[in-house]
Amino acid sequence: MYNTRVRGVLIKGNKSYSDITHDVLRPMNEKTPLWWWVAAFLASGALFWGVWGFYNTISTGIGAWGLNNNVAWGWAIINFVWWIGIGHAGTAFSIFLLIVRQKWRTSINRAAEAMTIFAVMAAGLFPLIHMGRIWDGFFIFPYWNTRGPLWDNFNSPLFWDVVAISTYFMASFAFWYIGMIPDFATIRERTTSKMKQKIYGILSFGWIGSAKGWLRFETAAVLLGGMAAPLVVSVHSIVSMDFSVSVVPGWHTTIFPPYFVVGAIFSGFGMVLTLMIILRKVYRFKDIVTDAHFDAVARILTFISLIMGTAYLTELFMAWYSGNEYELFTFMKNRVTGDYKFAYWTMLTCNAFIPQLFWFKKIRKNITMVFIISIFINIGMWFERYVIVVTSLSKDSLPATWATYSPTITEISIFVGTIGLFLMGVLMFFRFVPTIAISEVKGVLKETTTLKSFTDED
Amino acid sequence: MRTNIIGIYEDEEVVLKAVDKLQENGVTVADVMSPFPIHGIFERLKLTTRLPLATFLYGTAGAITMFAFLYWSSVINYPLKFGGKPLNTLSFIIIIFVLTINIGTLFTFLTYFVRDKLYPGKQVTLPVPETTNDKFVIVVSKTENMTEGDVSNINKIMKESGAIEIKESDVNYNS
Repeated sequence: MYNTRVRGVLIKGNKSYSDITHDVLRPMNEKTPLWWWVAAFLASGALFWGVWGFYNTISTGIGAWGLNNNVAWGWAIINFVWWIGIGHAGTAFSIFLLIVRQKWRTSINRAAEAMTIFAVMAAGLFPLIHMGRIWDGFFIFPYWNTRGPLWDNFNSPLFWDVVAISTYFMASFAFWYIGMIPDFATIRERTTSKMKQKIYGILSFGWIGSAKGWLRFETAAVLLGGMAAPLVVSVHSIVSMDFSVSVVPGWHTTIFPPYFVVGAIFSGFGMVLTLMIILRKVYRFKDIVTDAHFDAVARILTFISLIMGTAYLTELFMAWYSGNEYELFTFMKNRVTGDYKFAYWTMLTCNAFIPQLFWFKKIRKNITMVFIISIFINIGMWFERYVIVVTSLSKDSLPATWATYSPTITEISIFVGTIGLFLMGVLMFFRFVPTIAISEVKGVLKETTTLKSFTDED
Repeated sequence: MRTNIIGIYEDEEVVLKAVDKLQENGVTVADVMSPFPIHGIFERLKLTTRLPLATFLYGTAGAITMFAFLYWSSVINYPLKFGGKPLNTLSFIIIIFVLTINIGTLFTFLTYFVRDKLYPGKQVTLPVPETTNDKFVIVVSKTENMTEGDVSNINKIMKESGAIEIKESDVNYNS
C-alpha cells in the first residue's frame, strides 16, 4: 500500500508508547477541573434556553419566528447548513487524510470526528423543528400508509437531505466508534476503579488487540472511510440542491454543489482549529498536538479560502455574464451594495481575505492569531449562509412581495440552544473519552521520532 | 482450554524479527498482540480478510434493492407525475447512491463485529494486560504432540530474539 513520508516530527518530547497512553489518559484520571464545570454550566444554560425556544415554536407554531411569505426560510435553514458544514470536518479530516495517507491526522482525527457527531446532531434538530407539527415528522420516511400508499417525492432534494444526513450521521458514528474501541480497551486494562472497568469493559466490546483483530480493524477503517468520503461530497451537494434546484435568483446556479462542499470543509477545518487549540491548551497536549499540526491545517485553510474567494467572484461574474437582470440585481444591488451589504462584506472579509494572512509564517506560528482567525472563519461561514438565504428570498423576481426579515427571540434561542447542545457534547467528550486516538498516535510515533527505550539501549 | 507459550517484547521491530526467527525454525506463531497494528505482521502470519468483498456485495445488494424499491413504488405501485418528469427518472441515482453507502456501511459495521466476535460487555482476560499499552506479545499454541525439547527450543528462540519475559498461559484469550 502507498505510504507518504512523514515530514518533520509529529510527536515531540521523545516519548515512549507508555508515555503517550499516560499523557492522553491523564485528564480522564484527574479530578474534573473547575473550567469544565463553568463551561458545562454555561452550555447547559444555553441548552435550556434552546429548549424554551423549541417549546415555544412547537406550542405556538412557526408564527413564533420572524418568517413571512417571502422569506419562508430564515435562521432555521441558515443554522442547519452552518452546523452541517461544521459537521464535515471530522470526515474531511479523518477520512480524506486517511485515504491520502497523511500521518499528521492521527493527533487530531478523534476530536474532529467527535465534533462531527455533535454538529450533525445540532443540525438535524432544525428540519425537525421547522416542520412545525413535529409529531408528523415520520411522514418524511417512505412507509406503507393508508393513503394509497402514497410515497414520498423521491425527486425532492428535501427528501434526499433526510436520507443523506441520516446516512452521514450513521457512517460518521460507525467510523468514530470503531476507532475508539482499542482505546477503550486500554482504559479497561489500566483503570483501578471498578466502575470504570465495568463501563469501559462494555464499551470496548472485548477488544484484545490480536493480529487478526488489527487486520480487520484497519480494513474496516479504510472501507468505512472509503465509503464515507464520497458521502461527504454528496451530503453537502444535496444540501446545496435544496437551493439550487429552485428558480430563485442567487440560488439557481450550477456552482452551488462544489461551492457548498468546499465551504463545508472550510468551516469544518475552522472549527477543528478552534476546538483543538482549546483542547491542547486545557489538557497540555503540546507534545502530541504540535505547532506543526496547526501549521498544516492553516496551510489547507489558506488554499480553501482561495477557492472560496474564487467561488464568490465566479458568482458575481456569472450574474453579469448571464445577462439576467434579476441575478444582476440580487448580486450587485442586494448583496454587494444594498440592504445586506454588511452581511455580504463580512462574509467576504472573513472567508476570502482574513485567512490569507496564513501566508505569513509568523502568523501561522502564532497560535493566538490562528485561534482568532479560526473564529473569524466560523463567523464568516455563518454569514455566507445568511447572505444566500435572506438576500435571495427577501427581494426575488416580484417586487410586490418584497419583504425584510429579522429573527425573533425564539429563533435566536434555538440557535443558542444548539450551540449549547454542541458544547455539552464536546465537554462530555473531553471528559469521558480519550480525546486523541492513542493507538493511531503510537502507530506513527516510530516514524517521526526516536523512542526513549531505543536510545537507552544503545 | 489450550495452553500458550507467551513471549513478551518491548518493540515492534524486534517482534517482527522474532516472528521471522520462529517461523524459520518451523514454529507456528498463533498470534501477535500489540497496542497498535504492526506493519508487516499480517503478511508474516498469512492473515487475510474478506471484509472488502463483503462490503462490495452489500453495496451491490443495496444499489439493486434501492433501484427495485424506487421503480416499484414510483412506476408500478403509485405512478404519480412530479413536475412532468418521467416516472422512472435519472434523479433516482442520488438516493441509490446514498443508500448504497448507507447499506454498505451499516452491514460492514455489523459484519466487522460479528466476524471479530466483539460485542458489548464481552469478558476477556488478556494474558498480558500491557499489550494495550506498550508491550507486544507473541503467542505460540502448545499442542499435545509438542515434546519438552520443542518447548524449550521455542523458549530459547524467544529469549534470543529479545523477549523480556517468557511465560506459559492457559488463558483462552481468543474465545
